[in-house]
Amino acid sequence: MRGVCFVRRIRRVASDRLTGVDAGPLLRIDGLTKRYPGVTALDDLSVDVPRGSTGLVGANGAGKSTMFRLLLGLAHPTKGKVEVSGIDVAEDPIEVRSRLGYMPEHDCLPLDQTAADVVSTFGELSGLPARAARQRASDILDLVGLDEARFRPIGGFSTGMRQRTKLAQALVGDPELVLLDEPTAGLDPLGREEMLSLVSRLGSFGISVLMATHLLDDVQQVCEHVVMIDAGKLVVSGGTASLLERTGLVTVDVGRHGQELVAGLVRAGLTATLTDDLVEATIDGDHQMDLLRDVIADLELPLFRLSTRLTSLDEVFLRRAGLVS
Amino acid sequence: MSTLAPPGGTGKGAVYDRGYRPYDGPRGRRGAATYALYKASMRRALGLRRSWRQKVAPFVLLGVVTIPAIVNVGIGYVTRDRLIDRIQIITYRNYVGVSSALLLFVALVAPDVICPDRRQRVLPLMFARPLLGTDYVVAKVGAITTIVFAFSFLPQVVLFVGNMLVSDSALDYFTGHLDVLWKVPSAVAILALYYAVIGCAIASLTDRRIVAGAAVIGLFLVTSISSGIIVGDWQFEGGSAGALLNVLALPLYLRDVVFLGHIDPDSPLNGVNGGGLLAAATYIVVLGTGMVILWGRYRWVER
Repeated sequence: MRGVCFVRRIRRVASDRLTGVDAGPLLRIDGLTKRYPGVTALDDLSVDVPRGSTGLVGANGAGKSTMFRLLLGLAHPTKGKVEVSGIDVAEDPIEVRSRLGYMPEHDCLPLDQTAADVVSTFGELSGLPARAARQRASDILDLVGLDEARFRPIGGFSTGMRQRTKLAQALVGDPELVLLDEPTAGLDPLGREEMLSLVSRLGSFGISVLMATHLLDDVQQVCEHVVMIDAGKLVVSGGTASLLERTGLVTVDVGRHGQELVAGLVRAGLTATLTDDLVEATIDGDHQMDLLRDVIADLELPLFRLSTRLTSLDEVFLRRAGLVS
Repeated sequence: MSTLAPPGGTGKGAVYDRGYRPYDGPRGRRGAATYALYKASMRRALGLRRSWRQKVAPFVLLGVVTIPAIVNVGIGYVTRDRLIDRIQIITYRNYVGVSSALLLFVALVAPDVICPDRRQRVLPLMFARPLLGTDYVVAKVGAITTIVFAFSFLPQVVLFVGNMLVSDSALDYFTGHLDVLWKVPSAVAILALYYAVIGCAIASLTDRRIVAGAAVIGLFLVTSISSGIIVGDWQFEGGSAGALLNVLALPLYLRDVVFLGHIDPDSPLNGVNGGGLLAAATYIVVLGTGMVILWGRYRWVER
C-alpha cells in the first residue's frame, strides 16, 4: 500500500464514544509516583478518570505537566501505572499515543509554515494518509475558526490564533482523548471565552478532554469532572457539580423591584441585601425558602430567576487542600 | 452536517455547519509517521511550500554541480567530428569529488531541518505521535541523504547520457561503461550518507542554525588543515595514516576504492598499509559516532 504499512484499526464509531459503550474509565491511574532528583512530582496518585471532559486542577508545580508526560509515555513512572482505555502506557506507548491528542502550554509551532501545512503534517504524523490529513486539516481549521487564515504563516498569527492552531493539530488525528495544557493561557477575555466554547464542544464530537489548568473558573465552565492535585498528591476527584456545595445564599432577580423585595424580606425576618439589581437572601432550611416564595407572591413581584448560590471550585480546592479552614 | 437557513429567507442560500467528522479510515503507525516526517523534511530542505528565497540555495547548488557535466558533454558535442582524441574534462570518479561541494548544501540545510524543531519546541508535539526518537533520526538523516544523493547522482546521469549521445556509438559507449552503473551510485551513496549524518549530528547539538552551519564547515576545514600539516608533503615523502583525520576527504578515499579497487596513488593515503581498510574503518567510526550523538539527543523517552 504505497510502501506504507497501514493498519486497519477497528475504531469506535462516534456514537459509541458519545454513549460511552466502553463503560470502563478512560484513564486509570494506579499508585503513580514520579520522582526526579530532589523532587517528587507525583506521589502515589490513584484516580480513575471517566469519559467526558475533566479538569486537572492544581497550582503551578503541582504535577499536571508531569502527568501529561507520563500519559504520553514520554516519561516512565518511578512506581505505579497508567492505563488509557485499558492499555498500559508502559507496555504500548505507541498505541496510546495514536489515541491521544496533545496541546502543550508553551509555543510549539513552526512559525515559518502555514497553519494548513502544519496541521496537515501533524495529521500524517498521527498516521493518517496524506490526502485524508489534508482534508481533515482543512475541516479542523474551519472548525476552530481559522478557515480564512489557514494559508498564512503562523508567525503572523495572534496569540489566540496560535492557540487555535495548537488545538487544531491536537484534533486532526481524531483522538479519543485530547490533553489540553492551559489552553486559555495568554488569551484576552474574548479569546478565552472562544477557546472554552471550542473545548466545551469537543464532548459533543465524542472526544474526551483532560484539561490541565490552574484557572478553576475554566474548569467550572466546561468540565463535568474534576481532579485536583497538590504537590503531587490527590486532593479530591469527582463530578464538578457534586463538589460544589450550597452556601446558604439565594439570588433572586425580580427586575426593578429589588428594593421592594428586600424591604419585604426584612419585614419577614430574613436577611437580604441588594447587589447590582439582584437580591441576595440568606436562607436556612426549607421553611425560610417557603417564606421567601410567599413574600414574592404576596408582593406580586415578577420573578425572573431564583438560584441557590454554590461555592466556587476555588473554595473547594483551598478547603480540601487544607490551605484554608 | 446541518443546514442553517435564515428565518424568512428566500431558500436560495444556506449556511452549512460541517461540524466535526470522526475519522475511521486506515491509520498507519510508526512507519507511516516516519515516512510523513521524511517527506516533510525533504520539502523543507528543498524549500517547497516556502518562500522563493528558501528555494534559491538548493537549486543554485544543483545547477553549480551540474555545470561540469554540461560543459563536458558540450565539448564532446562540438569536437565530435574532429579527428582528435575525445576531450574529457572530468571523469565519473572525479565528478564524485565535485559533489563534495554539496557540503555547503548540507551545512545550510541540515541545521534548517533539525534546529527549528528544538528551538521552536516542536519536538514534544512530534513525540506525542506514534513516533520514537529512532524514527525521528531515520527520517531526518534519510531526507538529507536522499537529497544529497539525488543532487550528486543527477549530474552524473547528465554526464553519462550526454557522453553516450555524443559518442560514435551510443550502444558501444553504454556497454563499455557498464561498471559506472554501480560504481557511481555506490560512491555517491557513501558520500551522501556521510555528509547527512555529520550534518545532522552537529545540528542536533545546538538550536541555532548559524552556529550549526558554521560548526559543520569548521569541522571539515579544521580537520583538513590539521591533516595536511600532519601528513606534510606526501607527493615526495609518501602518504601517512594522518590523512584519515581529514574528515572532508575520507569518503573520497572510499570512492577510490570503489572505482579503482585500491587507494589512488596520487592521494595522501598512498603507501599506507591497508589504507583502504583503514579508510573504511574510520568511515564507520565517524558514522557510528554521528549516529550515537543523534540517538542520544533524541532518546526522548527517559530510561
